[in-house]
Amino acid sequence: MSTLLYTHPLCLEHDAGYGHPECPARLTAILNELKTEPFATLEWREAPEASLEQLNRIHAPKHVERIFARVPRHGHYAIDGDTVICPQSGEAALRAAGAVCAAIDAVLKGEADNAFCAIRPPGHHAEPHQSMGFCLFNNAAIGAAHARAVHDLERVAVIDFDVHHGNGTQAAFETQRGYLYISTHQAYIYPGTGRREERGIGNIVNVPLPANSGSAELRQAWIEEIEPALRAFQPQLILISAGFDAHYLDPLAGLNFCEEDYDWLTRGILAIAHEYCAGRVVSMLEGGYSLQALAASAAAHVKALMAGAGAV
Amino acid sequence: MYEFLQYRVQDAMTPEPIAISPKAKLREAETLFEIHDFNGVPVVNEQRHLIGILTKFDLLKAFSFDFHTLIPHYDEIMEQTIETVMTPYPASVEPQLPLSRLLQKLVEMRAKSLPVVDEGRLVGMIAREDVLKALRRAAIQHETPTHEESRS
Repeated sequence: MSTLLYTHPLCLEHDAGYGHPECPARLTAILNELKTEPFATLEWREAPEASLEQLNRIHAPKHVERIFARVPRHGHYAIDGDTVICPQSGEAALRAAGAVCAAIDAVLKGEADNAFCAIRPPGHHAEPHQSMGFCLFNNAAIGAAHARAVHDLERVAVIDFDVHHGNGTQAAFETQRGYLYISTHQAYIYPGTGRREERGIGNIVNVPLPANSGSAELRQAWIEEIEPALRAFQPQLILISAGFDAHYLDPLAGLNFCEEDYDWLTRGILAIAHEYCAGRVVSMLEGGYSLQALAASAAAHVKALMAGAGAV
Repeated sequence: MYEFLQYRVQDAMTPEPIAISPKAKLREAETLFEIHDFNGVPVVNEQRHLIGILTKFDLLKAFSFDFHTLIPHYDEIMEQTIETVMTPYPASVEPQLPLSRLLQKLVEMRAKSLPVVDEGRLVGMIAREDVLKALRRAAIQHETPTHEESRS
């Protein structure tokens, strides 16, 4: 069996303006790494566009229309101080969400064990009624809702190890049965949500980490909180919001993960996936702003996915 | 501000800074402080490996009341060696650290400056003023579109 890689050239066209840290070069750095020999058995697939039906499971039709109405013909439009869009951003966002839905379809049909979606714009800050934090639509939530609606799954888990809390994913799930959202993130930074007390209907597990936390704190969080929560939930599919900005070289935050941590964490997630859902995991890119750290960390993550699929 | 996120410590530090030997006298450090307005001076051995830092507070500390004398004697204290009052094993940063992270560190530690060390060897000093200068430089380099501009 194998690991799939979903991406699309339009994801490189989304451009938030000169010097913006969420830049096309991020994706280029990852894709260049994944074109090297150790990744030769990755099966590359072009991401389709997400349908409105898929988007509307999470985002109200009016909100989706409003976002597309703001896509500029030329130049840039700033949805907020962080979130800037260009003429290609709408199409890129459709491919990003579409990649996740297609990857889920492929994995659930048994075409592969797992998949990584190399996509941008990222999604986990996008709330049902609000695009923010570099994110237009919530790729993870759209994928999870798609899996539940189309594949009749009852329990879908999303694990988010981006350094920022996925307020959007939490907002989409916090009143909904059938979803588990687990997030590790740095405490007291953007977007300000993700406190331990935020537990939804018992389906949200927030593990805020103090600044300068690294491998030891991550392992402790996994052993004491994440793994037990996953086991209790018995997921039928696991999605990963894979942000790599908790790396010690990332300029946007202050945690100290390293490449080996992403390998370790991915293997842990896969072990749980093998136990409860035949290894079915779909991962997608969120943040990560040091090109060097991002490429190396994403490579470690994908290599672990491939090892989990028995492809390495 | 985007530009600032790309800076590393090595882009803003004072490279190959003045340093002092642990065997030097406090008087020499005092002279350095008088001439250069340093916050602290790094203390290095003959291989320029960082072994301590002498801050102005360390210097003042030498004059604080203790059980040796009723009143501290200026000339006597100035004859002490740096190693007797320096802060050993000081915090330091690597040249590749993103400047945005160094900024957080200075704020968290309430440090005025930090030595920059590459494989044990002192290669620079980075101070609050260097970060402020880099912030100004980054702000001038490129203005980003604002919410308000997009609306108009």
